[in-house]
Amino acid sequence: MFELRFHGRGGQGAVMAAQTIAEAAVIEGNYAVAFPFFGAERRGAPVLAFARIDSKKIFSKTQVYTPDCEVVLDDSLLDTIDVVSGLKPDGIVVINSKDKPEDIDLGKEIRTGAVDATSVALEILKAPITNTAILGALVKATGIVKIESIEEAIKRRFGEKLGAKVGERNALAARTAYDRTVVGKSKGIKKLETKKQWLPSYQEIPLGGVLVESRTEAGLIGPGSFIENKVFGWATFRPVRDKEKCTMCLLCWFYCPEGTIVRISDRGDLMTNYDYCKGCGICANECPVDAITMVRGKT
Amino acid sequence: MRIKDLPDENLFVCGHTACPGCGVALSIRNAIRILGKDTSVYVPASCAVVFGSTYPYGAWKVPFFHTAFENTGACLAGMQAAFEKKGKKVISVGFAGDGGTYDIGLQSMSGAAERNDDVIYICVDNEAYMNTGIQRSGGTPFGAWTTTTPVGSKIQGNRTFKKNLGEIVAAHDIPYYATLSIGHPLDFIKKVEKAKSIKGFRFLHMFTPCVPGWKIDPAKTIAVTKLAVESGMWTLYEVENGEKKITHKPGKMKSVKEYLIMQGRFRHMSPEDIKKLQGWVCRKWNLHYKEKGAPEICEIELPEEHHAVTEEHREMHGP
Repeated sequence: MFELRFHGRGGQGAVMAAQTIAEAAVIEGNYAVAFPFFGAERRGAPVLAFARIDSKKIFSKTQVYTPDCEVVLDDSLLDTIDVVSGLKPDGIVVINSKDKPEDIDLGKEIRTGAVDATSVALEILKAPITNTAILGALVKATGIVKIESIEEAIKRRFGEKLGAKVGERNALAARTAYDRTVVGKSKGIKKLETKKQWLPSYQEIPLGGVLVESRTEAGLIGPGSFIENKVFGWATFRPVRDKEKCTMCLLCWFYCPEGTIVRISDRGDLMTNYDYCKGCGICANECPVDAITMVRGKT
Repeated sequence: MRIKDLPDENLFVCGHTACPGCGVALSIRNAIRILGKDTSVYVPASCAVVFGSTYPYGAWKVPFFHTAFENTGACLAGMQAAFEKKGKKVISVGFAGDGGTYDIGLQSMSGAAERNDDVIYICVDNEAYMNTGIQRSGGTPFGAWTTTTPVGSKIQGNRTFKKNLGEIVAAHDIPYYATLSIGHPLDFIKKVEKAKSIKGFRFLHMFTPCVPGWKIDPAKTIAVTKLAVESGMWTLYEVENGEKKITHKPGKMKSVKEYLIMQGRFRHMSPEDIKKLQGWVCRKWNLHYKEKGAPEICEIELPEEHHAVTEEHREMHGP
């Protein structure tokens, strides 16, 4: 049995990717299952999806804990999640990254296929939805199914939902990523510490669950504690303000859903706190003097 | 108060987990900024409770409380009564979604309105149950796709028109009811401030686009809100002690098609359905703007033929 685990962010289509690889396996006459893991999370938050492929009927219903292949749709996840945990020693990681496999630090030396799927998706689909591009890379790196089968599966699955034209374009994205994928060996330097959780005993839980602002071993809890939740990884684009053009109308400050544009009243200036910017682009879209542009990449 | 005069302090902190471009997060952040520190918040089941507080973490810097879905009005009334008993001057404010106001919380809201409890009730209207994965609510407009009003060969999208909640709430003879739009900041600030200064049951009805539910580009959250007002899908007015006043008069009425085309949830709409919706908007437009000046009457004549799916639309959302 070949087991896959997908790490993505809500909106990138990790669930669809898992379903599509399963469908491609079925097209080739194998058995396959695909299913997501649900949390109370929004678009942009980390999500998990799983797939199993076998030539025999599959009876296993659990999540995949020891995958043969790990698919990472967004390399910013590497900072927060230990993606290689449980990966079999002869397993492979397929990752969406601008870097070559030799430059990617996964905390483990392991066979790695890398492709800049975000660029492929932006070129062909005009949106940073990387699921079909990463499938092309997955096929190149593992050879678990043929590229023709994955193209067929994409056309079927996406065509059915979004129309034939969209299906064709997504198949092209897979093919392009297939051609661009580089396979190598990753670095294994960093040690990722798992984030501590606040796990009080029943005596420690306050009456009625009422929390006041306090600091625990696992960080802040209570009112305003989300401030420790850095969400910069959600963004594909980041706003850059041209100070010369800016007239300080403060519309971007008012319109920012995150509150990441901070006003410094005594200096009469604005500052963008990129730690919390999700890259929605409202500020750039609404700026009356076009002083804000959206730029790809980290700032 | 102008935008400039708003306080710097952010009482709904960064790092919450709303989708990029979320209209609800934007409304909440600005409303609480104006209402100030001496505020206590209640949120029923909704997106706002998920992205604003995931136990033990929270984005609110003011006291925050959450219990069941259907009792926003009752909880606010109880909170306010307790504060009064303790002699504390606190504004109790509730942020309920359209599901929690139009459908599930209607009875509790009505009770609080009837008793004229001294609270602020804010409805953040994103026109469906977005938290549970886009189901139809009483606030869903005609023709919109949701998972419970799917697009089939016989019926396409929601068959009922948006419930006129404004009239229902105003019929309770409450001191203040107002509709707000996040695309009109000055109007927004003015109304929240006014609500803050009045005593009794105050209802603020906010129009807040939902990026995944409406299938829009996250950068267009504000643009789509502005277009909703310009096309007549949303009207900015207030009812103070029974007297209705239009607070923002859009210029020449824009065709509802311009509004629909921005959103994937309307991409299937047939010419007949668009015509039907345009008729509803025209009636609403005339109802609101007739007596109070320009524009006198809806000027758009219903064209014989609408093309629901244009090339532009296909480009954006697929056929």
